[in-house]
Amino acid sequence: MEVNLTAGAITKMMNGEIASEKDMTPVLQVTELKLIQTKIQKPQQNQEPNKDRYKLLLSDGVLLQQGMLNTSLNGLVEEGIIQLGSVIKLTQYVCSLIQTRRFVIVMQLEVIADICDIIGIPGQVGKSNEPGQSSINQQHGEAGSVNTQSIGGFEQQEARRSELNGGRFGVSADLPQPQVGGQNNPDTGRYGVSANSPQPQVPDVGRYGVTASSPQPQVSQRFGTGSGIPETAPSTRPYVSSNAGYGGSRQEQPRAPVTNAYSRPVQSGYQPQQPPMYVNRGPGARNEAPPRIIPIAALNPYQGRWTIKVRVTSKGELRRFSNTRGEGKVFSFDLLDADGGEIRVTCFNDVVDQFFDLIVVGNVYLISRGSLKPARKDYNHLPNDYEIHLDSASTIQQCYDDDAAIPRNQFHFRNIGDIENMESNSVIDLIGIVSSISPTGTVIRKNGSEVGKRALQLKDMSGRSVEVTMWGDFCKAEGQKLQDLCDSGVFPVLAVKAGRIGEFNGKQVSTIGSSQFFIEPDFPEARQLRNWYEREGRNAPCISISREFSGVGRQDVRKVITQIKDEKLGTSEKPDWITVTATISFMKVDNFCYTACPIMNGDRPCSKKVTNNGDGTWRCEKCDRCVDECDYRYILQIQLQDHTGLTWATAFQEAGEEIMGMSAKDLYYVKYEHHDDEKFEDIIRSVTFTKYTFKLKIKEETYSDEQRVKATVVKAEKLNYSSNTRFMLEAMDKLRKGDASSLPTVKPESSNYSSGIGTSGARETTSVDTHREFGLPAANQVSQYGNQYSSNSRPLGGITSCNACGSNGHVSANCPSVMSEPQGQYMSGTPGRYTGGGMPRQHVGGY
Amino acid sequence: MDTSSPSAFVNGALLRRYIGQKVRTVVQVIGSDNGSVVGKSTDDLQIVVRGSSPPSPLTTYLEVIGIAESENAIRAETLTNFGNTFDPQNYNELCKLANGEFKHLFI
Repeated sequence: MEVNLTAGAITKMMNGEIASEKDMTPVLQVTELKLIQTKIQKPQQNQEPNKDRYKLLLSDGVLLQQGMLNTSLNGLVEEGIIQLGSVIKLTQYVCSLIQTRRFVIVMQLEVIADICDIIGIPGQVGKSNEPGQSSINQQHGEAGSVNTQSIGGFEQQEARRSELNGGRFGVSADLPQPQVGGQNNPDTGRYGVSANSPQPQVPDVGRYGVTASSPQPQVSQRFGTGSGIPETAPSTRPYVSSNAGYGGSRQEQPRAPVTNAYSRPVQSGYQPQQPPMYVNRGPGARNEAPPRIIPIAALNPYQGRWTIKVRVTSKGELRRFSNTRGEGKVFSFDLLDADGGEIRVTCFNDVVDQFFDLIVVGNVYLISRGSLKPARKDYNHLPNDYEIHLDSASTIQQCYDDDAAIPRNQFHFRNIGDIENMESNSVIDLIGIVSSISPTGTVIRKNGSEVGKRALQLKDMSGRSVEVTMWGDFCKAEGQKLQDLCDSGVFPVLAVKAGRIGEFNGKQVSTIGSSQFFIEPDFPEARQLRNWYEREGRNAPCISISREFSGVGRQDVRKVITQIKDEKLGTSEKPDWITVTATISFMKVDNFCYTACPIMNGDRPCSKKVTNNGDGTWRCEKCDRCVDECDYRYILQIQLQDHTGLTWATAFQEAGEEIMGMSAKDLYYVKYEHHDDEKFEDIIRSVTFTKYTFKLKIKEETYSDEQRVKATVVKAEKLNYSSNTRFMLEAMDKLRKGDASSLPTVKPESSNYSSGIGTSGARETTSVDTHREFGLPAANQVSQYGNQYSSNSRPLGGITSCNACGSNGHVSANCPSVMSEPQGQYMSGTPGRYTGGGMPRQHVGGY
Repeated sequence: MDTSSPSAFVNGALLRRYIGQKVRTVVQVIGSDNGSVVGKSTDDLQIVVRGSSPPSPLTTYLEVIGIAESENAIRAETLTNFGNTFDPQNYNELCKLANGEFKHLFI
């Protein structure tokens, strides 16, 4: 079988021209295959025990390149599909620069030929293969050693390596990834000592000298690492010179020329930090020298020590939390490096104090050490499987000389049209024209604080527009700037970095903690958009993807009571959130409230049930404390009735207050302290047979093996007849136009009236635009009113609602009740109308 | 229910269809003097209401039940204050529906 290896592939890999399958899918030959067993576990590494890996040498016929098979491909070797001489096509791989060497980590491959004679006489390079080397001599020196190796020296090399493994380097060779070996080796002890004190450096050099003479790349690398310690710098030099080009060339990284490169920025930062690190770790336990800078893409949990050079692209706010282990604080920030790698860093507690003030968005830092944890994709939108958790041994050093190679921001713009098909909670970058912006409204968070909120309409060349909701500080600075631009008749270009897609009767996008706005940015996409807008976009029809879909997915929709049963609501995995207009037909008055623990736990009271001690104090089991006075919280059992049927529902504290119009405590006092039964009856009567618009959470729950669909009131408002009428008129209008798809399907026998209930749709983007086309402040006001008006006209259909806690006024992604994420922000529906409220408090697991 | 003397829901434009018959409408009060009220119908036409002494004080919106005298005048039998927050747009839609597609539902 004739096979053609991809000529020059390895040279390109070494030069860094190709880094992954995106650049090339080369066909290479396996010239060496070696099993690396994990014999010794390093305690700080959480890898599975005895995870074998295959190391391979790949040839393009001319050169050899070291590589590693992903463990998932081990089977191919074990079954003999890949063997010595196999020709493979790398379909998914990464060329990582691990310290100074490039390594190909092969994730996916195609076997072109099972076995084939070795093609050509390839020589191994893959060592000091960085571009920009200055010393020709050194390269020669290296080439020499390479040649030796390739002509039969290889076995020898491997043999020697195992010798080393048996001895001092036992750990390193057994680590699952080569770079780990390279870097962690020092941790085994010997080298750590040398790094700490210059004195033992000399014997070290000797020992390394021996090692380095073998074509064992890690060795010199390791030495290079050592040189990062300022104290050891002098001893590094002799080493460099004595070892000919071999070790020396390795130290000539493009970013860090020659030895003193390592004593510069990296080091100056490490210097102040190091003493405590030594104290923490104990002398001789580790090599504390700063390692080489590696790309973010090469970070993995198996590496103990690394340094990345990164720009901070966004910084989350400091958040406090409280969980079973007590209170804590957390903040996180996002990083971008010169290779386009992105990763999030999270700090907890004391580490927050250490680094919070140091981190400034836009600055470049060297960050070293920290553990890599799997990214929590729910909260972390960055395209990285890991996130960094810093600890007290981590170091962050600001680079004052800005590195222009690291972009300020990296966008992955998507069309607004694409949002329709994207999952809720995905995080995207958008660029579009702001066609309108609403005034700032305020929303009360569950913890009682207020947060600003405003919405804008963004449209782009996909002919779609979407509502973008701004939260908190975005309303002020960016919001005001956009407002001013809109008021002056300009339709500004806005780039949104990291907006989160939300879903309620359509899709919308809202800001999260790591979001960023770029108003009238100066980059090609913006200019293109501006051109489009001036040419045709201004008058092009634009369909809003916000608030106009219904009947699909899990959304907040108007239902009638019989639909709860008919459509088996609540029986799917997640609860259903529905809005019904109904009358309270009956209320259980005996146990309308319970005695609750008022002890503050974080920013909310504990609210667990407390029991009367009999001595006037109340005891909370959870807090394990007694209090003199307890809270009273509603737990109202009510029967709801509409024109289709009846259902029971439970209303807890906030919803209870909304229904009763007074606090549970006041009502309790009326009945049980003042024994004013007449007044109590009056209050109950005033509430029963009153129409409310309820937002209900419908969920099937199991009580002693019995499945029961439970309805919980998360929000109750007295019916607004005017807006309800508008809603009905709209629904009738749709019905007459035959747009039945927008109406909830009700079984015919349920009621004719139910046809009046549907999800209101609104496509007013264009009209809003038109208003504004007349321009200038006055007209803009009109558009604002237009906005408000339109939202008022469908409060029942278009309620922004939270899937997690059920309260109106935010979506679940930003639900304060599931706010274990540091980034979260609060959301609301239409400005000022839906203020917080919602479910009884939920404990936040989180951190 | 007394159906002997039905009153049709009208706005300003529909008034002419019921001249000589009993109608009911809601107007926004523009002014009043000497037992007559000038109001704006829900479809922004002017209607003069005579005959019955208006309640005092008048609220912004006033319901008028009476006989349509002309296309812009009603001789009122009953005048009722409808408050200040009435939604004229909804009322206007009701009038259109009650005299159009869904006329059969109304007496």
